[in-house]
Amino acid sequence: MSPNTASTGKDNLIADEEEVLQAVILADSFNKRFKPLTTHKPRCLLPICNAPLLDWTFESLALAGVQEIFVICRSHAELVKTAIKNSKWSKPGAGLKIVPIVTAKETFTPGDAMRDIYTHGIITSDFVLVTGDLVSNIHIGDVVREHKERRKTDKDAIMTMVVKQSGVNHRTRSKGDSAVFVIDPETSKCLHYEAVTGYPPKKYTSIPREILNEHPEVEIRNDLIDCSIDICSVEVPSLFQDNFDYGDVRRDFVHGVLTSDLLMKSIYCYIAKEGYAARVRDTRSYDSISKDILSRWTFPLVPDDNHPGGHSYEHLRGNKYIAKDNSVILSRTCKIGNNTLIGSKSQIADNAQVMASVLGQRCIVGAGSVVRNSYLFDGAVVGPNCVVEHSIIGSGVHIKERTRVERGCLIADGVVVGPQATVKPFSRLSKRRQDSDDEDEEFEDAEEQCEDDDDDEGEGEDADDEEEVDSELEDVEANQDPEALAKLGADTNAIIWPLPVVDEDEDIDELEHPDNQRLMRIGDNASDLVLSDPGSVTSSESESESDSDDDDDRFYGSNPASSTTSLPLGTPSNLVAQADSAVISEFQQEVKQSLDRAFAEGHSVDNAAVELKTLRMASNVSLRLVREAVIAAMVSRIKIMAGGGIPQRQEIASMISRWGGLIDKIGGVDPVETVEVLQEYCASSDRLPLFGQILAALYQDDIVDEDDIRAWHGNPKAQGQDVKPASLQDNYNKCWVTGAHMIKQFDEQDSDEESEEESDDGSDSGEPVVKDPVTEKLPSAGTNSSEEDSCEESSDGEDEEGNTDEDDSE
Amino acid sequence: MATDPLNVANQRIVETLASRLRRRQVVGSRETALETVLVLRQVISKVRFSNIDQLVEIIRSVGRKLVEAQPKEHTVGNTVRKVLHHIREEYHTASQGTAVVSTSKDTLSIAKFVLQGQPRKQNVPQKTTLNESHGMLKENDADDPDAFARTLKPVLMEAIQDVLDELETVYDNISKNAKDHIHSDEIILTIGKSSTVEAFLKAAAPYRKYTVIVADTAPSYRGHDMAQSLSSAGISTVLVPDSSIYALMSRINKVMLGAHAILANGGMFAITGSLLAATAARAHSTPVVVCAGQFKLTPQWNLYHEYGALDFADPSSVLGFEEGNLVDKVDVVNPFYDYVRPELIDAFITNDGDHPPSSVYRLIKEAYDDEDYEL
Repeated sequence: MSPNTASTGKDNLIADEEEVLQAVILADSFNKRFKPLTTHKPRCLLPICNAPLLDWTFESLALAGVQEIFVICRSHAELVKTAIKNSKWSKPGAGLKIVPIVTAKETFTPGDAMRDIYTHGIITSDFVLVTGDLVSNIHIGDVVREHKERRKTDKDAIMTMVVKQSGVNHRTRSKGDSAVFVIDPETSKCLHYEAVTGYPPKKYTSIPREILNEHPEVEIRNDLIDCSIDICSVEVPSLFQDNFDYGDVRRDFVHGVLTSDLLMKSIYCYIAKEGYAARVRDTRSYDSISKDILSRWTFPLVPDDNHPGGHSYEHLRGNKYIAKDNSVILSRTCKIGNNTLIGSKSQIADNAQVMASVLGQRCIVGAGSVVRNSYLFDGAVVGPNCVVEHSIIGSGVHIKERTRVERGCLIADGVVVGPQATVKPFSRLSKRRQDSDDEDEEFEDAEEQCEDDDDDEGEGEDADDEEEVDSELEDVEANQDPEALAKLGADTNAIIWPLPVVDEDEDIDELEHPDNQRLMRIGDNASDLVLSDPGSVTSSESESESDSDDDDDRFYGSNPASSTTSLPLGTPSNLVAQADSAVISEFQQEVKQSLDRAFAEGHSVDNAAVELKTLRMASNVSLRLVREAVIAAMVSRIKIMAGGGIPQRQEIASMISRWGGLIDKIGGVDPVETVEVLQEYCASSDRLPLFGQILAALYQDDIVDEDDIRAWHGNPKAQGQDVKPASLQDNYNKCWVTGAHMIKQFDEQDSDEESEEESDDGSDSGEPVVKDPVTEKLPSAGTNSSEEDSCEESSDGEDEEGNTDEDDSE
Repeated sequence: MATDPLNVANQRIVETLASRLRRRQVVGSRETALETVLVLRQVISKVRFSNIDQLVEIIRSVGRKLVEAQPKEHTVGNTVRKVLHHIREEYHTASQGTAVVSTSKDTLSIAKFVLQGQPRKQNVPQKTTLNESHGMLKENDADDPDAFARTLKPVLMEAIQDVLDELETVYDNISKNAKDHIHSDEIILTIGKSSTVEAFLKAAAPYRKYTVIVADTAPSYRGHDMAQSLSSAGISTVLVPDSSIYALMSRINKVMLGAHAILANGGMFAITGSLLAATAARAHSTPVVVCAGQFKLTPQWNLYHEYGALDFADPSSVLGFEEGNLVDKVDVVNPFYDYVRPELIDAFITNDGDHPPSSVYRLIKEAYDDEDYEL
């Protein structure tokens, strides 16, 4: 035997333990977008182009050179296991080692599954993480190589996400569940990830300022298809273990890792230039991926070449695929449109039309029927003169004559509809449970198939599934509208699943919101939803802007948190204001509560400050917001004394002396801003008359000094320019006038003291005039009198020095 | 063993190649042919058989599997047929003990006729070894079922080595007459990047001074590589867009094409754009010459009826996937091959002499056995 035989290289690979490429398939979808099709079958076993999704995934991985695959299954685990056992992949020649792993029913998120992987300890090296509904022809091997290469130099590069460039309006790009990636184009490091939901339309994304500071060039991309192929290092499962609240791999893990200051891990993106990869996330992507397969984007994974189900199809002009074994019966007068796949033993009767659809095996389309943009699973029967549009029809479904199935319907296995029925758009039908005696024969086929799948398997696991499903079915069944049922025809055995309703009280995930889900529904053009995301189909205006210039606008300044106070946010557009107010109000709420507690329970200033700092870190907002909140809280607590005068002043003084220190302890000292904020707050509240007194009190407590007041006063904003409405501007102006008084008093004092303490002046001659520290004398600005001045005098000077120093260091 | 003639190891080898073929991880006719021979050699070395029919059946089943995996890579089937042909030949020689049959066959060879009596490459010392072993060649020996295999295997290995050698030297053999076909100051047009044509043109370069015009062969743009390779070999090369082929045709002396598969009718499958070049050449009566190894001769002749035979690739090279708005609205057709009719071809230059399309059927008849046309 010659040493240079074809398979020697491969054998070596397998023998060499180091080189085995592992993959983990999350074979559960963790959502219910395919209900009721998935009541008796996991999503990964639903056929797409007549081969189970799982087989497409295996093929994609085999194409990439993966040798060991762990399949994490949860619902219908036994079905998945049997399917794997019976598939061609378990045969000796397949070169794949597939290990199904059943996880507990309590696995509710991909994160739980990852924790499970960690507990199993099966991962020994870098691995590929995919979902069980992947269709891809990307050379993942290249990505893995790149990942490993990177790991050699950067141990913290824990993950590489494969993304595929597509247009914003690409049919395969999920509108309801996409993301904005911020990428360093040079290193292709993913700097920021933000999930985007289609509805409610997401208008902003928040990009931390540090990213823009640290990277001279960033790409903000909203045109990528997330293929859900991740090359992960061994640390990834353990990170999930450490962070028990990580649910989704993207929304929680990637976002969490990228925003975390503690983990110091980095994630990279691989923008696939060649190849195709997409995930069947929902019925809409089911539709588009089917079309992609039929129009050969997935080449060589196409029906006539490398069909994962092992079927062979003949490729005809116009991307029509007909099963090759001569078992398909096409009537001479039938019409087969482009992009159609017809499985073996199917029959198309006279004058029937099948367009842009996929027919499984043993499907029958009756005379004069029209099947358009629809997916018929094995053994589905469409009677004569029916219309089926944009729907997914389960296996063994019988649609009787003259029935109309409108767009977007999902009809589960074994349902009978008709005759002469109309199934409303987006209906979801499933079969009534066995108790009814009008059991049809069509069922038996479907039933048989199910049984074929799980004949000799343990029933225990199945029973669980059944229970879970049954309780849901029961609910549905209990709430049937007899009228609607009647419309489904005389022979029907269907029950109608209710449309998803919005429960206001329930805290529903944005992603799973029914309106957002509509964007993921087959046949739904969602034209009545107002969408502003560029990924939407509705507004052409936003499309044209979105790609280039508008991106800047949309992302610009959208995060009030990440911009410091000194940065003017350019033209304050409505968008910015809106985004601001959303974040602000949330944060303010929290700060208010925190301060309420502090005031009520009499915390020490330090403790309160610590709490505020944490809050600020948590919600990542600017310092100014904290300052605003603190001042607002303090000022609003100052009671307005009816008589004014001394009691009022005492009230203010006690408040400021107790809590004033907090203002400077929130993480930064900026007295000018303090005055600004105070003015802003006073101007817009009923505590306007107190402005002068509070300012004076702050001055006394060294929270602001003369220079700060001067600086504030010199700022045109202090006069209320650009402030609307006019009444507010008046108020600003009043404050400013009060400030002017104060400054006048400072000036007077300065001239007084200049004569008294010239020596002091001389020593500070290097300082600019405004920095003159000789301002101990309390000014009697506004209603303030100078009675209490003297007591503060001596300490003021020193403190002030300290203050300015601190300022500088900040 | 009787039910499954292939043992596990063999099965694995075959499956591996089959899936690689299916996934298009092995591409290129010669590559595929080489891989096929290697797999066949391994299978034969490991397999047990007690008579010739068993052996033939085993090889055919392997061949079927491989062809099924990738029906568009015709060289797989051709190579299997070729190996079968050689095995039968060796078997007949061994069992009859004389080489008369094969020599008499040789005298009738059209290739030999074309080559004006040059003797066909035949292993003379091999025959003597066969003659020696003749006495021991016993089929279906009940006492020792492996005896037949044991005696025949070394001969078979040599036969397969012949096929392998032929594949490995195919470019040299084709291009050895290159300087007779290319004359000085000629302008030659080629399209795509055929290794055979490349070797052929390079072989003529030291003797002749000529210019090659390479069409860039959208959408694969293999012509770019071709142009680079030729110009680095010192040939004056011009790269032109496909659209200017017709305009330039009046100045071109010869069109030289590669082939993916040569059909029994004398037509061929070749890279997209070949039909364009050949048709333009016909309009100007420019000769069209095809350089191809003999392993590309395919007994099928009616493949061009099949729409899918052109091997439609993914549309991404024609319409970018990122053109999201268009993807949904435009049907893109991206055939990888063109079918070129025999009328458009003037001659095939093979490693077995030069032939007109009309005698391809005869070459096929000599290269393969009739019973193997359907594997």
